[in-house]
Amino acid sequence: MALLRAGLCPGLTAEMVPLLRASGLRTVVDFVSSDLEEVAQKCSLSYKALVAVRRVLLAQFSAFPANGADLYEELKSSTAILSTGIASLDKLLDSGLYTGEVTELMGVPGSGKTQVCLSIAASVSLCLKQHVLFLDSTGGFTASRLYQMLQAQPEDEEEQLEALQRVQVVRVFDVYEMLRALQELRDSLSQQVLSSTGPLKVVLIDSVSAVIYPLLGGKQSEGLALMMQLARELKMLAREFSLAVVVTNQVTRDSSAGPLKPALGRSWSFVPSTRVLLESKETTWEKANMQRIASLAKSPRQPTGLQVELDIGNSDVQELSPATPTQGL
Amino acid sequence: MQRDVGSLPLAPALRARLVAAGFQTAQEVLETGPCGLSKEIGISKEEALEALQVVRQECHSDATRTAGAPGTSRKCTALELLEQEQAQGFIITFCSALDNVLGGGVQLTKITEICGAPGVGKTQLCMQLAVDVQIPECFGGLAGEAVFIDTEGSFMVDRVVDIAAACVQHCQLIAEAHQEEDHLKALETFSLESILSHIYYFRCRDYTELLAEVYLLPDFLSEHSKVRLVVIDGIAFPFRHDFEDLSLRTRLLNGLAQQLIIIANDHKAAVVLTNQMTTRIGQSQSTLVPALGESWGHAATVRLIFHWDNNQRLATLYKSPSQKESTIPYHITPHGFRDVQPPAVTQNPEGTEMNPRKRLRREEEK
Repeated sequence: MALLRAGLCPGLTAEMVPLLRASGLRTVVDFVSSDLEEVAQKCSLSYKALVAVRRVLLAQFSAFPANGADLYEELKSSTAILSTGIASLDKLLDSGLYTGEVTELMGVPGSGKTQVCLSIAASVSLCLKQHVLFLDSTGGFTASRLYQMLQAQPEDEEEQLEALQRVQVVRVFDVYEMLRALQELRDSLSQQVLSSTGPLKVVLIDSVSAVIYPLLGGKQSEGLALMMQLARELKMLAREFSLAVVVTNQVTRDSSAGPLKPALGRSWSFVPSTRVLLESKETTWEKANMQRIASLAKSPRQPTGLQVELDIGNSDVQELSPATPTQGL
Repeated sequence: MQRDVGSLPLAPALRARLVAAGFQTAQEVLETGPCGLSKEIGISKEEALEALQVVRQECHSDATRTAGAPGTSRKCTALELLEQEQAQGFIITFCSALDNVLGGGVQLTKITEICGAPGVGKTQLCMQLAVDVQIPECFGGLAGEAVFIDTEGSFMVDRVVDIAAACVQHCQLIAEAHQEEDHLKALETFSLESILSHIYYFRCRDYTELLAEVYLLPDFLSEHSKVRLVVIDGIAFPFRHDFEDLSLRTRLLNGLAQQLIIIANDHKAAVVLTNQMTTRIGQSQSTLVPALGESWGHAATVRLIFHWDNNQRLATLYKSPSQKESTIPYHITPHGFRDVQPPAVTQNPEGTEMNPRKRLRREEEK
């Protein structure tokens, strides 16, 4: 929906624009979908000139079809698979996080979403030596816990501190700040500024529902528009710059005894291509334990319903080994 | 500058008009200028000027970030955050088991939620924390002030007097044992009157007053920059009755949570909330869960659940970004919130109350 402006394409001169605007054609879409003979008569412009302009505009603004084989080659060369640092989760996600896609982690409070995000940040920054951007909207990012996870790895202390420097944390507590932070990221990536972002591969957002929830519901539709705006930004970032985007989401219930379902509704459910549900093995909070079950709720590659077990209690998130006793209460 | 028009913080009607008129990026809006804008969209010149002001502010803060200005730039690397966290203090609770479970005490810049059945000790802990935040730095405290927002009317000043007196006595004993210059100097200012005068008390009777108070809190905190603790005793109470529209409640609560985390972050304060418990009736059994629904569970960064086990009060750390889940016992004594004393050490019955489910009454303390 670009505005018609002088110089948008050769042939669209400054005299033509106000004449077109006077007859109600403001954007490119209006122009190419209108009947050019009528326009030529109303604005007293030459029909041939209008047809030429239309052809150029169509070429400029339409999307070109791509050949499936070319697309496959391009994907093969630009997609990377990043290990999450947890072997069982990697198995669930078909060997890890795919760049160019949005992955979602959801679960009740205390189910371990932030822990898994920290583990991803630790593994990507230490083992893969890539930069990580962490957008924190709940205040749950604790650098000492991340350091604890890094210390569990065999690398020496200097490398661990370097890894900490590769993780950039931005605290955004409302949706406009989040959009602004994502816009800044897009600007710096498109200008290829290497200073602070470096070779960025993962963007973690914990959590996306905390900033959207205050806007949803009631009679306002503004919340839904902003949520879709955010969704578009995330998908564009993932696809254009080959990043892996990981978001965390809450779960809600329909009624007090209903089953759990992911928050943010049906519109958001189309945004992530992979969805993982984290839950605790015990259903009540009276027995505290560290074991979690991750199940695949939506995936483009694996069958849904796969489940693996994780242990978030130790210095890092690991898969549960049968011999490990549960941590003391 | 390529910021999409749909993502700018303008009024929704204005945004809709901009998009309908064909503007796509902020750059296009800025280029048009106020007169052109008012003509294209059909708004008055003043509105156009205001809108351009907002857009310019957004684009300028995109381009140039000023580090160090509170609230505008919250970007840093994990290493810097680690150093900040290690230098930050905690608010101790005087119960060493609970402090260990929390990793040193109640953390600053985070929201801690305390859930529990009635009478289990939530308000007692809040009052204890309001006193503990004021302990001078040489004794291991933060030398801060406290804001106490009360919605249930359960704040008892005479109880705070008891707790404060016990705390001052405790510090005096430490000073006598160590005999250091700064300890004695700090004790001169750390007295009952100063403790009570640094607890700022607000009474909110319904949810509108509570929301208004929380939205006005940043101004209050910038005037009183030494505040390190904000307690909201009874966040569930105003929201649980008289609410027909549950989606409005969820929206208000989530907005409140975001506002509180902004306050906690910008002013380096700890926010402590108390919540009630409700029963969830399942298929075969019913369980006691924290009130206000599933989505509220995500608001707090750290969640503590207080419950009973026969006559013993227990605290469980249910949700924390850095500590393991565990359960510890605690006691409410005439001096406040304390550890469970091992049975051989106690001479006076400091934990054996006549009626364990009610708070200690005045006659039994003397």
